[in-house]
Amino acid sequence: MESALSRSGDYADIFFESTTSDELTLRDGEVSAVESTADYGVGIRVIKDGHTGYAYAESTLPAEMERAARTAASIADCPAAGTAPAPLTRLQVTNHYPIRTPWESLDVCARKAFLSHFGERLSALSPLIVRVVANLAYDHSDILFANSLGDLFCDERPILSLVASCILEKEGHSENVTVSRSFRRGSEMLSEALLDEMVAEVEAHIPYLFEARRPKGGRMPVVMAAGSSGILLHEAIGHAFEADFNRKGVSIFSDKMGKRICSRQINVVDDATLPGNRGAVNIDDEGTPGQKTYMVREGVLTSYLHDRISAAHYGVAPTGNGRRESFRFNPIPRMRATYMESGSGTQEEIIHSVKRGIFVDSFTNGEVEIGAGDFTFYVKSGFLIENGRLTQPIKDINIIGNGPQALADIVAVAADSRIDNSTWTCGKDQYCPVSCGMPSVLVKSLIVGGDL
Amino acid sequence: MIPFDHSIVETALQMAREAGAAQARIALERSVENSATVLDGRLDKTLSASGSTLFIQLYLDGRYGSFSTNRLEESALREFIRHAAAAVRLITPDPCRRLPDPALCWKGPARDLRQYDPAIETLTPEARRDKALSACREILGSHRRLLSVETEWGDNIDYSYTADSQGFAGETLQSNHTINANVSIRGRGDERPEAWWYESGIRLDEANPKGCGRKALQRALDQLHPRKLRSGRYDIVIDNMVASKVVSPLIRALSGGSLQQRSSFLMDRLGTQVFGENFTLTDDPFVPGLPGSRLFDGDGLATARREIIARGVVNAYFIPHYYALKMGIPATVDAPSVLRFSRIGENSEKVLNLPALLEQTGQGILITDFNGGNCNPSTGDFSYGIRGFRFEKGRIVHPVREMNITGNMLELWNHLTAVGDDPRTSSRWAVPSLAFEGVNFSGI
Repeated sequence: MESALSRSGDYADIFFESTTSDELTLRDGEVSAVESTADYGVGIRVIKDGHTGYAYAESTLPAEMERAARTAASIADCPAAGTAPAPLTRLQVTNHYPIRTPWESLDVCARKAFLSHFGERLSALSPLIVRVVANLAYDHSDILFANSLGDLFCDERPILSLVASCILEKEGHSENVTVSRSFRRGSEMLSEALLDEMVAEVEAHIPYLFEARRPKGGRMPVVMAAGSSGILLHEAIGHAFEADFNRKGVSIFSDKMGKRICSRQINVVDDATLPGNRGAVNIDDEGTPGQKTYMVREGVLTSYLHDRISAAHYGVAPTGNGRRESFRFNPIPRMRATYMESGSGTQEEIIHSVKRGIFVDSFTNGEVEIGAGDFTFYVKSGFLIENGRLTQPIKDINIIGNGPQALADIVAVAADSRIDNSTWTCGKDQYCPVSCGMPSVLVKSLIVGGDL
Repeated sequence: MIPFDHSIVETALQMAREAGAAQARIALERSVENSATVLDGRLDKTLSASGSTLFIQLYLDGRYGSFSTNRLEESALREFIRHAAAAVRLITPDPCRRLPDPALCWKGPARDLRQYDPAIETLTPEARRDKALSACREILGSHRRLLSVETEWGDNIDYSYTADSQGFAGETLQSNHTINANVSIRGRGDERPEAWWYESGIRLDEANPKGCGRKALQRALDQLHPRKLRSGRYDIVIDNMVASKVVSPLIRALSGGSLQQRSSFLMDRLGTQVFGENFTLTDDPFVPGLPGSRLFDGDGLATARREIIARGVVNAYFIPHYYALKMGIPATVDAPSVLRFSRIGENSEKVLNLPALLEQTGQGILITDFNGGNCNPSTGDFSYGIRGFRFEKGRIVHPVREMNITGNMLELWNHLTAVGDDPRTSSRWAVPSLAFEGVNFSGI
């Protein structure tokens, strides 16, 4: 720490990480591939006037760390030492992801049996299923962190994920369904109830897969189903609220703090405290405890998502959003579990209110251009709405909108908010596990890709 | 400079043998990366790091596992491999998991594909900062709409050494230099359009900061006052910076993994006419100075020049060793190296850069950026958000945005009308600008 501050840096932190990953894959009915990785290292950051020096080493030998610290220190160009680091005090934080059954307690044979059983259940769903690929992956990170303010913490971060893809064939045509679940939990997550839920999700899609068509494209009302529709929040507003963009004056929401941006019935939260959630964070990667942050309350923009640098720029407290992919990266503002709270009414009432539009309920990916505010998300399945009723199944369309406009265009919010626990991973410069959630909503106008 | 000591690979091979592996492949990857980022004329971030990772593939009792670690101390590595071997013993055997026939593997001679520029070793932290600063300063304060300019210089050296228990050994060394500029400007209302530009390459002189900031700023200004177009069919030209978006679903569909899992819209199409006669695509691994060039693939198989699509006929798939055994067909290579798109038409003397493509196409939409979207790997159905420009009589008229293109990959490639002679040589596949006719747009 003294080396890191040797050139008058304002602040320094040291992030030690040891991560192990285990993976088993079922393919062609057999669990015949095993993978493991071990990754170990230390990242050292120095901040001077809001600017960052960063270096990492894949060794914790004193000489290697000293070299990394002096490299990071060079962001500050004064030869004199700055503030001395404060004595370290261990931070006490709430554990949002206690592990009840450690991963190691389930041996490879037991994991293999679980995955085989999952594959068998999926294969038995329909004679149309010709291939099943299933993957069980567990990542475990041990983190030790200290900064020049005297904060010290340790954190143990599990992530267990189960993913399956089924290929189906019918009359020479091929289709696919993918299902996933991911939690910050130990092997207690692997239950028959979890498989029931995932198998049911695949089963629900099968009858419509080969019947689904592309709708006629163009501008139309879109009803978004509760759960994974939270991708709308992540893309349409979440990224634009990450305050490193605002620091550069880039975000389309840059000048909207304290202003009404949408209907009073809308509350949007970015939450680190959901127990066992993929986006949960006990303490972020620069020593700010995980917390629940209201981004929009009763339609008014109330907070951006901050790391230490952006918080200092705006003169507010950091919100615990400073996250990094690994010790190889410096922390930047990132989302955690981003969701909208429930409103009133039901999904049925919302669908009933639409004369002609679409209902969408599963997605694969999204993207946003935060300056222009244009966002997109890709719809894997849904239905046409005709005269207030779901009719023709639809699939494979991209939906595009503008963030502030789409938020302002949400005209109905149901009372059925729920978190989607799929393997959502955000790819803003660095990969980061997140989650999202949503009640059923009606967006009165979005541009839907489709046929002429 | 990276020390080229790869004795750790031989040590790990010996440890794998001791742990009971009948066969093993070990790869050591070393990297050195450095960057300097400048925000609005001030140094905002510096990064300097190096790392080494060992990749270990074990073939043991007819079973297989793959592992990696960056804990390379001998005792830690021995323990890691012992644990790995124990895990492999517990999974189901797979008769297709074995090292490839040595006759198919690359055995030399080494050939200079010009993948490394020693000039990278001359770069100092100050030089990196100055390159990022110069790209920034050429536009800082130059336009009333300019909100911020972020420029970054980055360079990295990647070294790998792979050896297997059958005697294959291969080494690669590659340098890369990149200068990029990201500009945001004040647009209409709350809009802050952003644009980027980058130059990169194996050689230091390919990443020239001069003009990088100006191009990014011009691209941002060009986006002002966009319009949405009516839904309909339009001819399109896709800029070489982003054209790989419509190439990657084709490559995925031609890949062994997708074919074996029956998740490909080009399944069972080998030897059949799928595309128009004007479409010929070659995989060329031996283009000196292009970053996709290589002598062997990830399994050690010797690479070769191959026509993948010949006058619209699917001539070859990308079949890695493992999937070749699974499907009972010969292996080719695990993935494309450098893609060569053959020119269309007789007049091969004519320069066909982006302006020439616009002129040849006449009117339509030039796509300069994709915004999200996806392609169904089983059916080839796609839908992508786009940003770009309306052009008429070969000239740009106004920007367009917030539109989707929707269609099917087979249909799209059957409507290929022109291939530019402007491959983006800094990218691995070197895709040129491409033109297609009658693409379905959804707008207002």
